[in-house]
Amino acid sequence: MNIFITLLLICGLIFFTGGTLGILRFPDFYSRLHPAGKLDTFGLVTTVGALALYIAFVQGLFLTALKIGLIIVFVFITSPTATHAIVDAGVRAGLKPWTKPSSGEDQT
Amino acid sequence: MRIVGLILVVILGSVLFYGSLAFPPWGDPASPASSHLSPYYIEKAMEDTSVPNLVTAVLADYRGYDTMFETIVIFAAGIACIVLLRTFKETESGSRLYRHIPTGITLKIDKKGRFPEDSVVFERIDSHWVPHDLIVKTTCRLIVPFIQIFALYVIAHGHHSPGGGFQGGVILGAAMIIYAIAFNLRSAIRRMSERSAVMLSSLGVFIYAGTGALCMLFGLNYLDYSALAGLLGVDPVTARSHGILIVEIGVGIAVMAVIVTLYYNLASAGRHDEGL
Repeated sequence: MNIFITLLLICGLIFFTGGTLGILRFPDFYSRLHPAGKLDTFGLVTTVGALALYIAFVQGLFLTALKIGLIIVFVFITSPTATHAIVDAGVRAGLKPWTKPSSGEDQT
Repeated sequence: MRIVGLILVVILGSVLFYGSLAFPPWGDPASPASSHLSPYYIEKAMEDTSVPNLVTAVLADYRGYDTMFETIVIFAAGIACIVLLRTFKETESGSRLYRHIPTGITLKIDKKGRFPEDSVVFERIDSHWVPHDLIVKTTCRLIVPFIQIFALYVIAHGHHSPGGGFQGGVILGAAMIIYAIAFNLRSAIRRMSERSAVMLSSLGVFIYAGTGALCMLFGLNYLDYSALAGLLGVDPVTARSHGILIVEIGVGIAVMAVIVTLYYNLASAGRHDEGL
């Protein structure tokens, strides 16, 4: 069980590292929100899921694990909605998505 | 006038600073608070009030006066916000926007025209922010009941875990604000009007102060909940525990209503017609 939990945690950490790199490296608002949304949902599900498994099967506190499970469920519902709302606000505010500058034009 | 206010503030501030010099040093183990008060709370709170959470016992029972006036401060903040921001003048611009829901077409109707009622066919929309977002609305619909249940849990479970009236009231108010943001200010006001918000905030303060007065009627000190033992049909220790719950409910109602009032006034600059 411990090995499985550690694997889940490592998997979540890889997601978090990749997502952080993505937020730093991607070129514009919309593409940066893409890894940010991934982080909050999948990274959190793996790490907090590992926590819930640890508490349920190593420490034996099933009720606490259930509460952590509820946190996962609600974050899974609300976090993508928040990302969607931010993107929607960007579109409404008139922010143009980034496009790759074509080689013919001069890059000002 | 401004200079007079400044002088008053400076004088009051220096008096407060001068008064604070007389306090014992912070964290002094020999100060009366550390040598008499805290050990008493830590040793006796459970047998006095049968509340395992020490913070709740101190907050709502031993220092009930303090918390009552905190609630009154919050109530006063809500009233001050209404007094400062609320405008009753009709400043609405001449036209309104309506969405024809089946086709999604937006209509602009001048004041001379006839405004349609809100129905399944026409929906009034804000002029500067036009949310027609099914995802956000559906998630809001889904999540608000759970937020409210959690708020009630926080209020009711303040005896055993972190929480209580203030925290639960803020969460309840936040649920209402989420509703107002995901839909619009008008539908939130339709759910909870300004009048009922103000009434609820004064009702919360009334529950708190009324519990204290009830204790006096039964012949004990103000806010000494053990006087309610006969009324609740339990022994005096359990009555103190139940009394804490009653005043926490009052605090929760007051805080929730004040938060909603603040949002209504701040979001619409006191006009209550179109929100954020």
